[in-house]
Amino acid sequence: MERQVTVAIIEDHPVVTEGVASWIRSDSGQRVRLVHAAPDLTRLRAEPRPSADVVILDLELAGELVTTRIPELVAAGYRVVAFSGHSDPEIVMETLDNGAHAYVSKEEGRDHLVEAVLAAAADRPYVTRSQARAILADQHPARPVLSAQERQALLLWFQGMSKASVARRMSISENTVRQYISRARAKYAATGRTAVSKEALLARAIEDGVLKVGEVVQYNSFARGPADRSTLGAPGR
Amino acid sequence: MTSVQPTELLSGRYQRAWTMAVLFLVAGWHLAGAGGQLLHNRQAYSSFAFQGAMWLLMALAIAAGSVMVLRGVPGWRAAWAVAIVGLAASTAAAAASPAGQMLAVNWAWGSAGWIGVLVLMRRRFTELGCFLAAEALATLGVQAWDGLNRTGLAGFLAVLAWSTGAQLAVAAGVRALDAAADQAAAAARSEHAALERAATAQIIQAARRTRWLALQESAAPLIAELAAGTADPGDARVRMRCALQAARLRRLLAEGDEVPGSLLHELHASADVAERRGLAVEIETAGPLPAVPRPARRVITDAAIAILTDARSHVRITLAAVAAGIAVSFVADVAAGTRLPTAEEGVTIHQQQDDGIFWAEARWNGR
Repeated sequence: MERQVTVAIIEDHPVVTEGVASWIRSDSGQRVRLVHAAPDLTRLRAEPRPSADVVILDLELAGELVTTRIPELVAAGYRVVAFSGHSDPEIVMETLDNGAHAYVSKEEGRDHLVEAVLAAAADRPYVTRSQARAILADQHPARPVLSAQERQALLLWFQGMSKASVARRMSISENTVRQYISRARAKYAATGRTAVSKEALLARAIEDGVLKVGEVVQYNSFARGPADRSTLGAPGR
Repeated sequence: MTSVQPTELLSGRYQRAWTMAVLFLVAGWHLAGAGGQLLHNRQAYSSFAFQGAMWLLMALAIAAGSVMVLRGVPGWRAAWAVAIVGLAASTAAAAASPAGQMLAVNWAWGSAGWIGVLVLMRRRFTELGCFLAAEALATLGVQAWDGLNRTGLAGFLAVLAWSTGAQLAVAAGVRALDAAADQAAAAARSEHAALERAATAQIIQAARRTRWLALQESAAPLIAELAAGTADPGDARVRMRCALQAARLRRLLAEGDEVPGSLLHELHASADVAERRGLAVEIETAGPLPAVPRPARRVITDAAIAILTDARSHVRITLAAVAAGIAVSFVADVAAGTRLPTAEEGVTIHQQQDDGIFWAEARWNGR
């Protein structure tokens, strides 16, 4: 068995923490272990080194949006999975831009939270339906260019089809569907503010053949100036 | 059949009343004023028959002009045709009048001006101005031909001042009254719209309140049961109840940005009925949605109702902006295929059935 992924949960509603813990416990492979649960970030920030692989972060703590705290968590070496009742596309995009690996809405928790945590630990893209929705709704002028196939796969996934049904609808393999969706997500990691987690996600995407190096540079140049592009030359990090 | 706004009817009714008033004025003048003068001076004309024929010709022009203005604002060709007939008849009648007595016996001048007012009053003001100027020049020309003296010129100017003045005043009055009627109609229209908005807001508010009260009755006991431990979250039925209440709560929260009459609003209303029979319905949107015309909306909501009726426990409805249009999709647990409405009104419908899960997409691609 592979090493368990350790996870911390920052959530100010005990009942939600309980729910998340129960989802983690009911994972048949026992692939995730909960090591820390707190209502705020104080203790996590005091740790000299990351005490968990992944942080499940409620975006609203004590009535305050904490999307701006994501960069420091990421810089400290955590992978962040946002878990929130706010499914407003603007907030989802801001969360991802700040370096969160994935966004899981509270409605999607049961089906997607554990999988998103595992994907984040492996630096692999994970796209929930609410994330697909935010990408489809994105109107920013500097947004990455998605191919027609990528958009179609995202649209059908957002609509609620299973990946197998999307594959049948598009007459492609399920693997190709995953590839399209992951590629769309990876393109977003190449835009906006730089973050260790985004570089790692990109590097992994290139390694996995989801994205080509040429595509990354192209999309990055779309969004940002040359200062950000230099960091993308080192996919091995 | 085209529908007419009540406010348009209102301003139309006033304008028709002004038209009728001018019509009676013109016809009355021609009949009593001009006709009376013609009969009174019948001995003075070299040919009373010719004068009578000109009078009849102008009466016909007035009749034709009346029909035209009662049907709306006449086009420039029709209006000017009638006006020129009136002007020509008036000039011919004046030319055939005995020289030197023109001011006393010329009955036609006033009628020609009034014909111009009748057909040109709702066209550009300069058109009427040109017509009245042309008429004055024609009359002056006839007088000059007969030999104009100082007394004749003074008389001409006096008649010109009062007749043209009266004609211009009536035309200006009609325009002012038209403008006032339009303003009144616009005010009524905006008041009507405000009332309609307020009524819609009230209906939405009441519906929301009803749903909120219903939630108090359905969600509150469930939460109490969960808290007391009498409802087991491991039980599929309890989870279904939770999902249903959660969907209702979510919708209540999401309703803030609804626009009455929009596709989203109508889909919510359709879902409401389905929820009452225990279906969990979620509705999500992606991107700025375009306004969809009513016939296309009807096809889409018909599809929604068909699917909501056949679904067993859960329906996800999404509305996504695509290219110039909108893709409305449904994912539901429907055992057999659902009979969807015919794709028409610019809406295309696709569907797919996978192991008890039914997917359909109604796409409207803009106009």
